[in-house]
Amino acid sequence: MTDPKPARRAEALRLHRKLLPIWSSDQRFRGWLTTNNNNDIGGLFLIVATIFFVIGGILAMLIRAQLASPGSAFMGPEAYNQVFTMHGTVMMFLFAIPFFEAMAVLLLPGMLGTRDLAYPRLGAYGLWVYIFGGSAVIIAMLLGLSPDGGWFMYPPLSSSAFSPGIGPDVWLLGITSIEVSAIAAAVEVVVTVLRYRAAGMSLARMPIFAWYILVVAVMILTAFPPMILGSLLLEVERAFGWPFFQTENGGDALLWQHLFWLFGHPEVYIIFLPAAGMIATILPVMARTRLLGYAWVVAAVVALALLSFGLWVHHMFTTGIPHMGLAFFSAASTLVAVPTAVMIFSWIGTLWQGKPRLELPMLWILGFFATFVIGGLTGVMLAIVPFNWQVHDTHFVVAHLHYVLIGGYVFPMIAAVYYFLPLLTGHSRFFKLGEIAFWITVPAFHLTFLAMHWAGILGQRRRTWTYDAGSGWEWINLTASIGAFAMAIGFALVIGDVVVNTLVARKARRNPWGAGTLEWATMLPSPVYGLASIPVIAGRYPLDDDPQLALRIARGEGFLADTSRNRRETLIVSTTGGEPAQVAVLPGNSVLPFILAVVTSTSFLAPLVGAYLLSGAALIGVVVVALIWAWGLGSKADEGPVDAGRGVTLPLSTEVPDPPGWWGSLMLLLADSVHFGSLLFGYAFLWTVAPNWPPPSYLAPGAVDAVLAGAGAVALLAGPRWAARSILKGAGPWPGLVLAVLGAVALAGAATGIILARPDPAGHAYDATLWLLAGHVGLHVAITAIMLGYLTARVLAGYTSPRRIGDARIVQLWADFTALTGLVALAAAWLPGVFG
Amino acid sequence: MTDIARLSVPLTLWLISFSGLYGLHGLVCSGHWTRLAGSGAEVAGQTALIAGFLAALLVQAVAVAVLWTQRFGGPPGFVRTTSLALALVALVATLWTLGPSVALPACAWPSATVAG
Repeated sequence: MTDPKPARRAEALRLHRKLLPIWSSDQRFRGWLTTNNNNDIGGLFLIVATIFFVIGGILAMLIRAQLASPGSAFMGPEAYNQVFTMHGTVMMFLFAIPFFEAMAVLLLPGMLGTRDLAYPRLGAYGLWVYIFGGSAVIIAMLLGLSPDGGWFMYPPLSSSAFSPGIGPDVWLLGITSIEVSAIAAAVEVVVTVLRYRAAGMSLARMPIFAWYILVVAVMILTAFPPMILGSLLLEVERAFGWPFFQTENGGDALLWQHLFWLFGHPEVYIIFLPAAGMIATILPVMARTRLLGYAWVVAAVVALALLSFGLWVHHMFTTGIPHMGLAFFSAASTLVAVPTAVMIFSWIGTLWQGKPRLELPMLWILGFFATFVIGGLTGVMLAIVPFNWQVHDTHFVVAHLHYVLIGGYVFPMIAAVYYFLPLLTGHSRFFKLGEIAFWITVPAFHLTFLAMHWAGILGQRRRTWTYDAGSGWEWINLTASIGAFAMAIGFALVIGDVVVNTLVARKARRNPWGAGTLEWATMLPSPVYGLASIPVIAGRYPLDDDPQLALRIARGEGFLADTSRNRRETLIVSTTGGEPAQVAVLPGNSVLPFILAVVTSTSFLAPLVGAYLLSGAALIGVVVVALIWAWGLGSKADEGPVDAGRGVTLPLSTEVPDPPGWWGSLMLLLADSVHFGSLLFGYAFLWTVAPNWPPPSYLAPGAVDAVLAGAGAVALLAGPRWAARSILKGAGPWPGLVLAVLGAVALAGAATGIILARPDPAGHAYDATLWLLAGHVGLHVAITAIMLGYLTARVLAGYTSPRRIGDARIVQLWADFTALTGLVALAAAWLPGVFG
Repeated sequence: MTDIARLSVPLTLWLISFSGLYGLHGLVCSGHWTRLAGSGAEVAGQTALIAGFLAALLVQAVAVAVLWTQRFGGPPGFVRTTSLALALVALVATLWTLGPSVALPACAWPSATVAG
C-alpha cells in the first residue's frame, strides 16, 4: 500500500501552480500600477502610511524642540503654526486611518476565508488617490505652503480674510481627496464582511476583528460625509465668497465646528476600534485561550460606535451652550466609558482564564493597557463640563488625546505588525531589537505625556509657539521634550526591527502562534490567491476545531478549487447564515484604477493653482474612465449556474438581482444620505441660530416648480423600475428609460428654477444654501442621466437579459435616491417661503 | 440583513432621538420659538422637551418589547441576545443622556457666557 501523504502534497502543489498564474500581478514594472491584489495593495498602503508616520513624527520632534526651552528661537510662530497643523493632519489623515485600512486589506480576506476583497480595483483606486492626495499635502508643506490654522481648520481663522494663501485650500482639497479614498475602502470592507466569507461562517462565527472593522467601515461611511460637506462649504466660501461661515452675511462660524466634530469625534473611535479589534484577535492567542464574552464584545463595539456619534458637542463646551445642551453631551460622553470598559474587562478576563505568554506582541498589548486606561480616565474627566472649561485648549487635552491615540492605537498596531509579521513576510522574528524598542518607547511615552498633563493643568496653552521664562513650565517642557526624543528613538527602532526581520530573518513555519482563525490556514507568506479553496467552517476557531483544515484547503477540498474556468473566483454567502449563495468573478489586473486616481486627484488638486479649467476637464475624465471601468464588467451571454465544487452549483454574481455593484452602490448611497442629511442640518442650524437671519426675503415656490418636482420624482421612481421589469420579462426597456429621462429633466428644471430665482449665492448664507440644495439635485440628476445613458448602451450591446438585470437594478437604486432626496431638497428650499 | 437591522436599529433610534431633542432644544431657545409660542414660550419649550424625552423613552421601550418577541427578535442565539442587550443599552442611554431635559431649565446659559 502506498503512502497517501506525498500524493496529497502533490495534489496541493498542483493546485497552487494552477492558481498562481490566474491571481498573480504583472511581474514587470507596470505591475505596480496594474495590480489590484489585496497583498500588493495592502502592502503598499502599509509602506506609504509608515512613511507618513515618520514625517508626522519628525514634525512632532520639531514641536518638542521648540518647546524644550522658553523663548526658543528654533522656530518662529509662522513656522510653528504650520508644523503643529501638519503634525495633526498627517497623523490623523495620512497615517492613522490608512494604516488600519492597510491591515484590513491585507488580513481581512484570509480571516473571512475568502480570496480577495469584494472590489479589488476599488481598493487599488483608493490607494492611488491616497498616495496622490497625501503627497500633494506633503509637497505643499515642503514648499512652505502648509495650512497653519490647526488640523481642525476653524473659520474665521481659516477664511480667505485671515488665511489668504493656499494653505487652507491644500488642506481642504488634499484631505477631502483622501477622504474619498477612505470611503472607497469602507464600501469595500462592508460588502466584503457582509457577503464574502467562508461557507458556514454565520454572523455569530465571524472572527472578532471582522466585527470591529465592519462597524468601523460603517462609521467611516457615516462620519466622513459631514466633514466632506464642511470642507466643500469652506472651500466654496474661500473661492467664491458664498458666506456659510461669515456672520455678517447670515453664516455662522460655529456651523463649521458642528460639521467638523460630527466627523471628528467618531473619528477617534474610527481610529481606536480597529486597534481594539487587533487586541481582541491577538490577546486570546497570546493567552492560549478564547476571547471571553464574544457576544458582549460585539455589543460593546456596536454601542460604542453609535454612542460616539452623540458626543461631538463636547469639543464645543466653551462656545456658549445652554446648561441643558451641555448636560446632554456631558452625559453621553461619560456613557461611552461603559462599552469601552466592557471590552477592557473582556480582555482582562481572557488573560485571567488563559495561560499568557510574554511574547513581543503581548508586551505591546500590556503597554496599551497601561496607557489607554489612563487616557480613557482623563477622557471621562474632560467629559465633566467644569473641568473641561478649566483645561480647554491646554496641554492637558494634548496629553489626553495622545494617551488615547498612541496608547490606544499605535501600541496595539505595533503588536499587530509583530503578530502578523510571519503571515505578511513569511519570516519569523530573529533579531530581538523589538524588546529594546518597547522598553525605550513606552516609558518615554509616559515621561512625555504625563509631564504634558501637568503643564496643561498649570495652564500652558496649546498651539502657542513659545512661553515665558519664569512661568514654572520650563522643567516640565524640557522633561517632555527629552521623553519625546527618546520615544522617537524607540519608534525608529521598531521600524528598523520590522524592516530587518522582513528582509533577512529566518523562514517562519505555518501558523507559528497556534491561532485558530482562518488567516493562518495558508502557507507563509500568504500567496496571492489567499486560500486554495474556500473552506466550510462550523465554529469561530476553525483551525482549532479541525487541525487538518489548512491541509484540506490546500488540497482543494473546499469550494471553488476547480481552476478550469481560468478566472478569479470566490464565494459569496448569505449575510446572516453564511450559506453559499453565488460565485463572484473578481476582475484581473488593470491600469484603470491608477488612471482614475490620476484624473480624480487632478480634479481635486488643480484648483490649488487656479487651474479650474483643468479641474473641469479632469472631472469629465473621471466620468469617462469610470464608464470604461464599468463597461468592462459583466458578460454578453448567460452562463447559468456554475459548479462551485462539493456537488453544489451556484449562480454567478452577475446573474442575480443583487450583484456586488448593487451592494456597493447601497453603501455609497448610505454615505451620500448622510452627506445630504448634513446639508439639511447645516441649513436648519443657520435658520435656527445664525445671527443675521431671516434673509431679506425667502424664495417663494411657483406652481410650475412644484408640479415639475412632483412629476419628475414620480417619473424617476417609476421609469427605471419599469425598465428593470421589462428586462426581467425579456421585453424592451425603452418606455421605462424614456420616462426616467423625462423625470430627470423635470427635476433638473425645478432645481434650475431656484438658481434663476436667486442669482446671487454670495449675498446671504440663505442664497448660498439654496444653491447647494439645487446643486445636490442637479448633481444627482446628472449622475442618474449618465447612468441611464450607460444602461441604454448596455442594453443595446447585449449586456442585459432576464438573468442579467444587475445593471438596471443599480440604476434604479440611484434613481430612487435622486428622486427622493431631490424632493426633500426642493421642499426644504421652498418651505420657509411657504410659511413666511 | 434583517439581523444587521436587529443589531443596529435600537441605538440608531437613540441617535435620532438624541439629535432630534438637541435640535428641538436649539429651536426652543431661538427667537423662532418665542414668535411661535408667544408669552408662554418658556413653559411651552420645557413641556415640548419633556414630551420629546418621554416619546424617546417610549420608542426605546417599544423597541425592547418588539425585539423580545420571537417574531421580530428572531430565534434564540447570538443575534437575539446581542440585539436585546443593545436595545436595553439604548433604553438606558436615552434615560441617561436625555434625562437632563426633565431636570434643567431649557434655556439657562452658564453665567460666564452671559457675562462674556
